[in-house]
Amino acid sequence: MLNVFVAGLAIGMVFAAVALMYNVMYSTSKVLSVTTGHLSMLGGVFGAYAISILHLHWSIGLLAAVLVGAAFGWITELLGVRRILAKSDEHLWLLSTLALATIVQQLIGLWWGTEPKPFPRLIAQDFNAGLLDQKFWLPIIITLLMALGLELFYKRTMYGKVFMAMSEDPFAARARGISTDQIRQMSYLLSGALGGLAGFAAGQLTFAYFALGLTLTLNGFIALAVGGLGSNIGALIGGVALGLLNAFVSHWFGGEYQQTMAVGLLLTVLLVKPEGLLGSRKLRPV
Amino acid sequence: MKYLSSKFTQLFIGILFCCSIPIWANDQYQIHIATLIGIYWILVSGLNLVVGFTGQLSIGHVGLLSIGSYAFAILAGKLGFDPYLAMLVSGCLGGLCGLMLGLPSLRLPGFYFAMATMAFSLIVNELVLAQGELTGGGIGLAGPLFPAPFESAIGFYYFVLAIATVFTWASLNIVRSMWGRALISIRDSEVAAQAMGVPIFKAKLIVFVFSGFAAGVSGALFASLQSYITPDTFVFELSLFFFVCIIIGGKGSILGPFLGTAVLTALPEIAAPLAKLGNLFYGLLLLIVVLVIPEGIGRLAEMLIQKIRPRLVQTEPMNPDFSKLTRTLANHEFKEGGQK
Amino acid sequence: MKCKFKKLGTVLSLSISLLATQNGFADTLKIGWLSSLTGPLSSAAIAENQGVELAVEEINKSGGILGKQIELLTRDTAGDPTKAVNFAKQLAFTDKVQFVIGPVNSGEGLATVPILASAGIPNIVIGSLDELIDPVKYPKAFRMINTNRQWISTANDYALKVLKKSKVAIIADTSGYGTSSAKSATELLDKAGIKPVYSVLVDPNKTDLSDEMNKARAAGADIVMPWSAATGLLARVLNARGDMGWSVPVVGHPALMAAQIRKLLNKPEYWDNTYAAGYMSTTYMSDGKLPAPTQALVNKVRPKLGGGEIDILFWWVALGYDAVKAIEYASKTAGSTDPAAIQKVLEGSKEFKGVYANYSWSPTEHNGFPDSNMTVNSANTFKDGSFKLAPH
Repeated sequence: MLNVFVAGLAIGMVFAAVALMYNVMYSTSKVLSVTTGHLSMLGGVFGAYAISILHLHWSIGLLAAVLVGAAFGWITELLGVRRILAKSDEHLWLLSTLALATIVQQLIGLWWGTEPKPFPRLIAQDFNAGLLDQKFWLPIIITLLMALGLELFYKRTMYGKVFMAMSEDPFAARARGISTDQIRQMSYLLSGALGGLAGFAAGQLTFAYFALGLTLTLNGFIALAVGGLGSNIGALIGGVALGLLNAFVSHWFGGEYQQTMAVGLLLTVLLVKPEGLLGSRKLRPV
Repeated sequence: MKYLSSKFTQLFIGILFCCSIPIWANDQYQIHIATLIGIYWILVSGLNLVVGFTGQLSIGHVGLLSIGSYAFAILAGKLGFDPYLAMLVSGCLGGLCGLMLGLPSLRLPGFYFAMATMAFSLIVNELVLAQGELTGGGIGLAGPLFPAPFESAIGFYYFVLAIATVFTWASLNIVRSMWGRALISIRDSEVAAQAMGVPIFKAKLIVFVFSGFAAGVSGALFASLQSYITPDTFVFELSLFFFVCIIIGGKGSILGPFLGTAVLTALPEIAAPLAKLGNLFYGLLLLIVVLVIPEGIGRLAEMLIQKIRPRLVQTEPMNPDFSKLTRTLANHEFKEGGQK
Repeated sequence: MKCKFKKLGTVLSLSISLLATQNGFADTLKIGWLSSLTGPLSSAAIAENQGVELAVEEINKSGGILGKQIELLTRDTAGDPTKAVNFAKQLAFTDKVQFVIGPVNSGEGLATVPILASAGIPNIVIGSLDELIDPVKYPKAFRMINTNRQWISTANDYALKVLKKSKVAIIADTSGYGTSSAKSATELLDKAGIKPVYSVLVDPNKTDLSDEMNKARAAGADIVMPWSAATGLLARVLNARGDMGWSVPVVGHPALMAAQIRKLLNKPEYWDNTYAAGYMSTTYMSDGKLPAPTQALVNKVRPKLGGGEIDILFWWVALGYDAVKAIEYASKTAGSTDPAAIQKVLEGSKEFKGVYANYSWSPTEHNGFPDSNMTVNSANTFKDGSFKLAPH
């Protein structure tokens, strides 16, 4: 039972990390990008590539994963968001990010292959460590650090406060001299870097697999919606709830209805509290 | 009135052209592709109203296609119902599920709804695999043929053509009426539409039911054409394909998505290497269209035509009669408090 | 308005008639090859393609079949049944091929076999799902790979009769292949009077299988039989077994022996005590050598695979090679490519000697793979595409 709990917690933390990324991108651009899950996938794939195939040290692999994630985050902003926001059509960004997500998934599938490939062992550890195995604890610890880091970033640093200002009212922020375009770019770079880091940490759990992107996008989104848009603690709660639900449903009923249960959770929460557990009720502009 | 009749003239000519295809098509394979285009178009014509006109981003319609196909295969195949009845039932079932799919759209903002529809298509697949007793699980089901004269390739083609015409005519009617304007107003600004008294909930739900019905019928015909359906056929990428057809064709038009469907279905057949690059190609195409020509290729064609052969602005030269003017001014010079 | 459509009509008809005239020369023997070179199961398809192309090259060099050169029309279905159907119809009606090999995926095969049957084209089937072959419904379809039943019953026999285990745990994935294989496996065990102590269906991407393995151990299982073609899942089963220190044998699907599994394992030792259904033709005999026909083919193919060690399952290559050779045999014996004559020859073949197996078909049995060629191999003896026998 404890086994199920830890496994569920670990994958739940990966979902929570994706939800955190959604939050960062949403705060400055009000855009929820379909490419969010793919940023993590890239982290895992390029980390495996750097360490296993190019035989570099794991720290360089980590750097590679973070850089590739940041680069793709930047591309998302450049191609998927910037021009679209300028035209102010409500939902075109969904299409553009969906297109980018498809493109990157297919390219990685063609280059890396369609089979899951191994992710190397990062810290020397015996394999019969059972529950203390790093494949569980790496994602958990990294995600918790990410959440803590983001909270400190928002509360203590200047840039963090600028992010918060932009998310509250972009026009006022611009009026105060904040370069909203640059800040938006920064937030996407940051989100991409976080994604690369999360994917790298989760690599031993998920293997380096090209189709991971869409799964993480959907599940990370469920975590976000359950926890509440805009809240980092909510992202953690949502992710953990989803991960544990998946694990326990699989334990009790087998894997046949996994997706159905996950969406069931989403719909239940949305029916009862549409803005999520810790989200803020939004006023509708009329 | 002239504008309206020209749309129907276009439809009529289009149908004549499509009727003539079996005459100059060379073999059964080309007729098969033409039939497939027709079947996809039935689904896309419904989806077009949802995405292109009402602006609801549903990327899960492959789930409805799957439901329609399996319903038909089970009813007409396993249980031996009459195929026409089975097709109607598939359509109704599709409509019901379309309603279920549309209900969240009333409450959820755009991205949330899109994700919910994506999850819907994944759930349908999961349920199909889990309910192996009913759906054959991984092995799938055989898709029964329609009785004569529609069992031959050409016969079935005409059958599909007839049904596609009905759906095209229906969507044209919806679009040209008040309904069409209402849908476009919902797409462009829901708040303003509501302020103008458009019944958004009713409109959205009706459109979803119609698109669900179209998807159900399309699924039934698809099962019959493919002669065998398995869960592998109904992947999420197919939804993306339908979606791209509409966006490429241009929102707000009927002809555009039709041409989009025809071209995108035929393309992998003509260019063989495209098979493996297929999904990459659709993604690229979607990105380019969204960035460069968000109104779709139909609009692009219009823009190009405008550049090549610009519609001359009608100017009527004004030749004032100066003598009369001077006389009038002289007469009324200071009568009105004099503004020169 | 009218002009627009007339122009469209002429352009379309011109382009389609252009396509139609590209039918090629009339004096070649056309073989259609439906292969999923990209997408899922592509590694098997690519290897089979090597075998097919080698055979075509060889035959053409020595004069072709019945004086005609073979024209191989390869169509990449990318694992999509809709594309498979489209290409099957294209091969049958536009390209007018004489034979079709494939498809590789059983899911695609379920749709294309009836279509090719109604077009009357002889079809060499290389998918393993039992439902693909039916001498009555599809009279011109002949299978050259083993059936799924043969895989399952070979594994079951080894588990029950050789290893003498009786408490079976079945782990399968939720994909189409997994669910139907689990069902067949349970049925076959039932016939032998065994009921599995634990049976579960798992999402193929589930990240950790230790829960399922713990439950299997708790249920008292003394053998674990996974039925899945997903290498990630199989690797995780082996990893879970190794991590929890449970020394239970694992016997199941040939994918357990695939080279990718070795890379996904936490420790190479985890591949010990793992056995899977395999073939005598790709097994090293007691003197350490492969059977002569297999070794000959290995030597021919090795330069095309890069010249070094072969790291794919070699029986895939042998299967592709044999498929083309069977077409050559049938055409030469019948003296023509008339479908009815081909059917008669194949149905009458007592033993067509191939590299992968020696096939025999009959009017009531279109599955040509002999049970005698089935065996069980040890996964960790993988070398150059073949294996050693499992302990008997």
